[in-house]
Formats: sequence, structure tokens, C-alpha cells
Amino acid sequence: MEEAKVGVFLSDCGGQISKILDFEALAEFVKKVDGVTFVARSSEFWRGQGLKTITDAVKSGKINRAVVAENVPKISEIVIAKAVEEAGLNPHLVEVLDLKDHCAWPHRDAPSEATEKAKAMLLAAIEKAKLLEPIDKAEFPTVKSVLVIGGGIAGMQAAEDLAEMGFQVHLIEKEPFLGGLAAKAGRFFPTDDCAICIQSPTVDLKTVTHTSRKCVYRSGFSEIPNLNVLTNSKVVKVEGVPGNFKVTLERRPRYVSEEKCVACDLCTSVCPVEVPDDYNAKLSTRKAIYVNKPLVYPAAYVIDEKACKFHECAKCVEVCPAKAIDLDQKTEYVTLNVGSIIVATGFREYNPNVIKEYHYSEYPDVITHLELARMLDAFGPTKGMIVKPSNGKPAKRIVFVQCVGSRDRRWNPYCSSICCMISLKHATLIKTAHPDADVTICYIDIRTTGREHEYYYEKARELGVKFVKGRPAEILHDPATNTLIVEVEDELLRRLLELETDLVVLATAMVPSEETKKLAEILGLELDQDGFFKEYNAKLRPTETKRRGIFLCGGATFPKDAPTASLHAHSAAVKAAKFIMQGKIVKDLKTAVVNEDYCGNCQFCPVTCPYGAITLEPKENKHFVAHVSELLCEGCGICVGTCPVGAIELRHLKQDQIAAQMRALLSVNGTPKPLILAISCSECGNAAVDSSGMAMMNYPANVRVLRVPCTGIVQVRHILEAFKAGAQGVMVVGCKPDGCHYEVGSQKAKKKVELAKMLLNAYGIEPERLEMFNLVYIEGDKFAEAAKNMTEKVEKLGVLQLA
Amino acid sequence: MTEEKLEKPTIEDFSREITRMLGGETITYCYQCGTCASSCPVAKTTDRYNPRQIIRMALLGQRYEVLNGDSIWLCASCYNCQERCPQKVEIADVIYALRNMAIREGNIPALYAEFANGLMSEGRLAPISKFLEKKRSDYGLPPLKPTGVEALKKIFSATGFDKIFFKKGEQP
Repeated sequence: MEEAKVGVFLSDCGGQISKILDFEALAEFVKKVDGVTFVARSSEFWRGQGLKTITDAVKSGKINRAVVAENVPKISEIVIAKAVEEAGLNPHLVEVLDLKDHCAWPHRDAPSEATEKAKAMLLAAIEKAKLLEPIDKAEFPTVKSVLVIGGGIAGMQAAEDLAEMGFQVHLIEKEPFLGGLAAKAGRFFPTDDCAICIQSPTVDLKTVTHTSRKCVYRSGFSEIPNLNVLTNSKVVKVEGVPGNFKVTLERRPRYVSEEKCVACDLCTSVCPVEVPDDYNAKLSTRKAIYVNKPLVYPAAYVIDEKACKFHECAKCVEVCPAKAIDLDQKTEYVTLNVGSIIVATGFREYNPNVIKEYHYSEYPDVITHLELARMLDAFGPTKGMIVKPSNGKPAKRIVFVQCVGSRDRRWNPYCSSICCMISLKHATLIKTAHPDADVTICYIDIRTTGREHEYYYEKARELGVKFVKGRPAEILHDPATNTLIVEVEDELLRRLLELETDLVVLATAMVPSEETKKLAEILGLELDQDGFFKEYNAKLRPTETKRRGIFLCGGATFPKDAPTASLHAHSAAVKAAKFIMQGKIVKDLKTAVVNEDYCGNCQFCPVTCPYGAITLEPKENKHFVAHVSELLCEGCGICVGTCPVGAIELRHLKQDQIAAQMRALLSVNGTPKPLILAISCSECGNAAVDSSGMAMMNYPANVRVLRVPCTGIVQVRHILEAFKAGAQGVMVVGCKPDGCHYEVGSQKAKKKVELAKMLLNAYGIEPERLEMFNLVYIEGDKFAEAAKNMTEKVEKLGVLQLA
Repeated sequence: MTEEKLEKPTIEDFSREITRMLGGETITYCYQCGTCASSCPVAKTTDRYNPRQIIRMALLGQRYEVLNGDSIWLCASCYNCQERCPQKVEIADVIYALRNMAIREGNIPALYAEFANGLMSEGRLAPISKFLEKKRSDYGLPPLKPTGVEALKKIFSATGFDKIFFKKGEQP
């Protein structure tokens, strides 16, 4: 390798920090450092003339490494790297340090001490720069195609967005028809419009205006170019890498050709088999060949495999004028190649069977909201009439019971969030159509937090819906009158009531769709404590997952009302598009590399890696070595911290660079206080150090900060080496344990610190000289305080005597 | 219960005190849904007992009212409420915890004092009446043998039961 020629660029922040630090002394100091071939001073180096000074030095060949002391390192680092790259130098050969927030401002009361610390910081940066090696970029191809799993309201909206953006979209649905829960729900709050109404795709040229919305069946949804809808299908296998997944689908036979069927209904008129209609909550029957109404998509009949007698009967085949029925269709396996995947598998109603005292499925007149929704639907089993399923007679008295199986630590501890609104919607629909109906809602708390939601509550009261604050204990049945009795305490009256009623509607919990767990396993996704798909970060990445290229939307993450599901779907579509739109992922290879000579047969790093980036690859003689996926590796270094033999290293922070920086930072003291090394992560830990400086909080200059990508990289030997290099105390500053940017790094560091403390104790070194801190950006004050306290504590312990 | 009677500032203290008692650990889970009250056979017959209200008062720190009232002694221990509570509050056990606290403070209803006396003197909660003896012999059951009161007394003194129940040398 060519000899390192380091250029040092000292920015005095428009003269601000040269009032504190002696820049003349700093320039003199760095000039004498071995390997430094160029020194320049300016008021700023990341723009204008200052930046040109750097690029000119690169172009002239005077330097092949740059150390820039700049005061907005987070931005300047990016700008300078880009500029030097254009000038012909690998951008990873630049080291930027912050003399303002990390030195001048927090130590402004002791300028000479600050200057000495600045020397140490510059020396550390120079020593590191000399050891830096160029890092290349790599490209990974992405397929411009997306798989959307789940054809409910969220899946359809995401699929439409992406198809119209020009991506090839495969929308798959496990049921024979699209629509999901929405198709059954009838009406939605807060718009009170049809649940199966969607925005018109732009393909529907005749109606494309800003205001157009249409029923799914006439929206032209299926005609959107690039959209491939596969019903009766589910994912069985996912292989490959983000941007390039190979997905295997299992496609159950429909037995009716979607292309040929003309939906004439002749088949159902001859079909002799009649079974309870699941779609209509078993409140009516249907034939073994059927179509759901209202119609969603596809407009083609389907044969119920469990009910059909197939060739024994085959009457439908005879009458079908379009020759659309094929009773010999078999399950197909389809393989798709997609760049990203959107999971929109939604949620379902919980079966309230488990709550014995409500006698659901024992008393026919105890029903759920979805069953009521089917009754309220004019297409439904009762043509819009509210009846007692036990005898088909009109129900005049209706009691709603809230929080059935939700907010219940026995079943589902969470609040399902939409059931209050569903009850209010249904109660107002009933009261509007039948003002004489007696409607009561038994509630624990009424939660109407969305826009316009409270007005539903208001309207329900206006219409005369009664509200009882109390969760019923039991539902009883009086066989003599065929009425139900709801036992409830009206807490506000402090009186026990027995509400006589014709119908009880249970507002049951909303739980993850069936097979959510299985799909999570196939996709390698995590579920939350309630069994829903877990997003990467609820605040910042609500539609992303830990697995890059896989996104979430709609009720798959939590029960949602339609507006929220819609919003979520559009967000997921943008994220999925962003991920694949370039046709490639370009990435700096700031990743881990394995030294195969040392590595072998241990499982530590594959298990520890939070990104599943490390696998074991077989070599000769049953020998296994770790293999790092350059695409999946995030460059945190947790593997480095875990490796017992030092066989894995980061390209962007090698062990010799850490050691060189440590020695340099501890080489000059210049203060009367004991030297303390703070090993901080580049994320929250360093942000806390930054913010303490930005806010000009004081802490002593004997505290020296060594930045690493994540505290997970810290090994016990790093801590011991720090003491050996002259540190009297060591601080490890990382993210909050549950807020680590690399998932587990901060927790791993905590364990290393505990272990190191035990070892220190065994060596006769006070374990109090070592401490771990978990800080965030807004806790700069806590960093300053920790630095002060640590200094005082170490001062009291006296000078460390190493044998 | 009027507003002036709300005792201050024991809200936290009293509920914490209860959570430290055996059986009282779950009281803070309560979100006042009323399932217990509407499940309760005692509450159906009298206004003087409402488990939801007892828990409410306890969580609001009304220590005196809870421990000195007769309400906590009316629970029939059917455990209906506990079975159905959606927050897994061990309501009947909370009531037991409250009773234990009340007894330690000397608030012992006469009936329970009688039970204790019976235990101390005869080793039985209820005295054996002539009527009972006759019934037993009618059914061909052997007469009841006297119990080992001395052994019970040892247990009472070892556990401190006697001191809790019989202050100021009231021992029978």
C-alpha cells in the first residue's frame, strides 16, 4: 500500500473556537506528527474555498488521507466525502472530528486544557487516518416487482398505487374473492359509505377525477396494467434476498375459469347441495357453487371443495353455457420473482366462545358485530332486517356488549380500538331505520378518538341509544319467552340491572388473521406480544420491518379503521417502491469481514447478528466458517464484540484503528485530573456527547471520547487495553437498552461491562473505574454530569497502579 | 360517603399496602368494569356489599372506611367475581387481604371473634350442639372426638394468631 500522506484541515468555526483553543499551537503540533504532509487552517472546510483547499490538495497528490476538524461533522462528513470522491480519493479515507462540541465548548472555562485535549483528538484522528483503507461500493440488483399479500382494503390500495407507479404487482388473496373484512362490513365509519368503495384507478379513464370513487366490482381494478390478481392463493415459501425474493405460492383450484364465467347463475339453480353460508355468518345457506354478494372481484363463481359432489353430480358442468367449469382442476404452485413484499393480511373477529358466561354459539340470539353487519346489509341473509336468529322474528330490543375478549387479560389484553365505533355505527343505523327499537350499549369506556368519531356518540345519544356503564357479568336465556337477560351493574347508579332483550351483539376483540404466525415464520418476521406483525419502529418506520424489502400495512399490524388502513397502505406502497425503484441497491461495503484462517465451527456471530447477515458455510473436513452477506450486514460490529478469537472485523473500523486511537487519545493529558476514556456509540451515545457540547454544558477535559459504530463492538480486552494505555477510568456510552439502533448492541455491551468489572476486581483494579451509561440526544446534561461524577469518583480512588 | 370523608393523602399508600399483602397483589389492575358486582350473589341481595365499590374506595385510599365498615365481611367467597374478572384481579383474595388488615387493627366482627373463641377453647369453629350429636348417632356416625386444643394453641402462639385476636389479655 502506498505510504499515507495525511492532510490536516483545521476549521476555527469563523473564529469562534479559536478564541478558546490555541490554533497556532494545534497547527504546530500536527505538523510534527509523522505522516502529516499538509496542514491548512480556515474558518470552514465543508463549503466554498475551504472545501476547494481539500480537493486541490487531493488532486495535486499532496495528500491521500484527510483529517478535517469541522464543527458540523454530521453534515460536513457527507459533503466532504462526496467532494473528495469527485477529486479522486476514496471517501472512506477521510476522518472528520468535532473540535467545537466535543472540546472547545464544553471545556471553554479551561482553554489550555482544552487545547491539550484537542491535540490528543487530532493525533487520534491522524493515527486512525493513516490506517484507513479504501472501501468499495457494491451493487445489488432489485426486481421491479412487488408481491402484496392480502386482498382487503389495505392490500388493494397498496397494489393499486404500485401498479399505477409502473411496478409489476402480484396481489394474492387466500379467499376466492377480494374485499377482506370490508366486503362483509357493509358500511364504514366515519363516512357511512359502502365498505367496498375504493378510489377509482386511473385506468378507469371515463371517471378519473379527483373525486371519483367506485365499488370494487365496477372500478376497473382488475384492468390496471401490471396488476396480477391471484385469489385462492397463499405463500408457502420465500427464498432469496431483499430486492430479489423468490416466492412460491400455493393456488387452490377454483374449478371455474375466471376468463370464461359469465356469472349467469345457471349453475346455482341446478346445484343440489346446500350448505350454511360462511360469508353471511351462517345466517343463510348457499349452494356448493356460489358467488359472494355484493359482488367484489373476480366476477366468477367458485366451487366449495368441501361441499361439492364433483363428478357424482356435475350438473353445473352440463348447464354452464360458457363451458367455464372444470372439475378436474388441481392445486398449482406458482413461483414469483419480486423485489419487495407487502404484508396486508388484516385481522379477524375473535371467537367469543371462550367467555362461557356470554353463551355465544349456545344461545343463537347472541351474535357478533360481523353477523349483525351481514343482517344490516340489504344483500345479506335477512335483506337488511334485524331478526332473532333463533326464530327469524324481528328483534326490537338489542343490547350491545363492549370489550368482549379484548381489554381482557385472560384473552387479549389490548383495546381493539375500533369496536366502540362499530357499536355506535350499528346503533345509529338501527335507530335511524327503526326509531322504536330499544338499543342499549353496555360499556367500560367509550373510546371515540378519531376525527368525527365523537359526533357518532353524540348522534347516538340524540337518537335515543341508551348507555350503561358496566360490563355485563352474564347473559341468561328465558326459554319460556325466548328472551335474553343481560345482568349488568349500572355503575353510575350503583344498581344491578337485568336487561331483557331480543338480541345481544358482542363487540368482540379483533385479533390477527389466521395463519399469521405461519406467514411470519415463512417471511422471517417478528410478531408483537399480541400476535400482530411487528413494525421496525412504530414512530419512524411504521410500515417497515426488520427484514429489508418486506413491508406491512393495514390491520396486519393492529386493528384499524378504514381511513387508517388506507393511510398505512399508501405509506407501505411508497416504501416498497422506494426500495426497488432504482433497479439496484448501491451500498458502501462498510461491513464485517471474516478471516477464514482463524474462524471456525463456532456459532457465536450467526446467532448474535441482529440482521441474520451471518451464516455458516461448510469448508473441507466438516469445518464451518462464518460468511457475511454484504447486502444484509449493517456494519454495527456486534459480531466483532462477540467473536472469541478475533476472526471477524469491520472494514470501516479495524482493531488496529481502535487501538491507535485509544493510545493517541490517552497520550496527552494536559489537565490535573485522571484521564477517562469514554467509548461511545455513533448513535444516541455520540448524540448525547454532541448535545452536551452544543448546549455548552461543562465537563472536564480529561474525558476523551472514542467513537465506535455501536457499543456492541466493545470487547472486554478493549476495556483492559484502555487501562493499560493510561486510562484511569472507562465509560461506555450507548443507546437505551431497548432503543439501540442495532437492536441488541447496547444490551451486549452491558454484559461485557459486567464481565469486565469482575475481571478488574480479580486483577485488583476497582470495578467502579468502569461504568456503562445509556443516554439519548436530549440527555446531554446527563453525559456532562456522568463525566463529572466519573472524574470525581476516579480522583477519589487515586492513581491506578498497574503492575 | 361524602367528599369531605375522602381521606388524604393515602391514595398511593393504601393501595401499595394492599398489594404487599398476600392476595392483594392484583388490586391495581382494576379498571372498574363492574363485572364483579353484577356477578355477585351477595350484591344481588343487599346494597351493603359491592366488590367493585370496595376496590374503588381502596384504590382511592379510603382506608378507614374500608377497614372499619362491615362491607368486607359480607363476601361469601363464591369466587364468581374472580373467575370472571377481565383484568385478573383476584377480588375474593383482595377481600381476604383487607379482612386480614382489618383484624390486625382490631376491627373484628362479633361473629368472627366467636369463631376464634371456639377454636381456642374447643378447637372447633362451631360448638357441637346436642342436636348435632343426636343427628350423628341417627345416621350411625361415631360421636365427635375432642380435638387437640393444646396443639392448636401452640400453633396460634407460634403464628401470633392469639395476639392478633386477643388483645389486652382477653383470652378465654
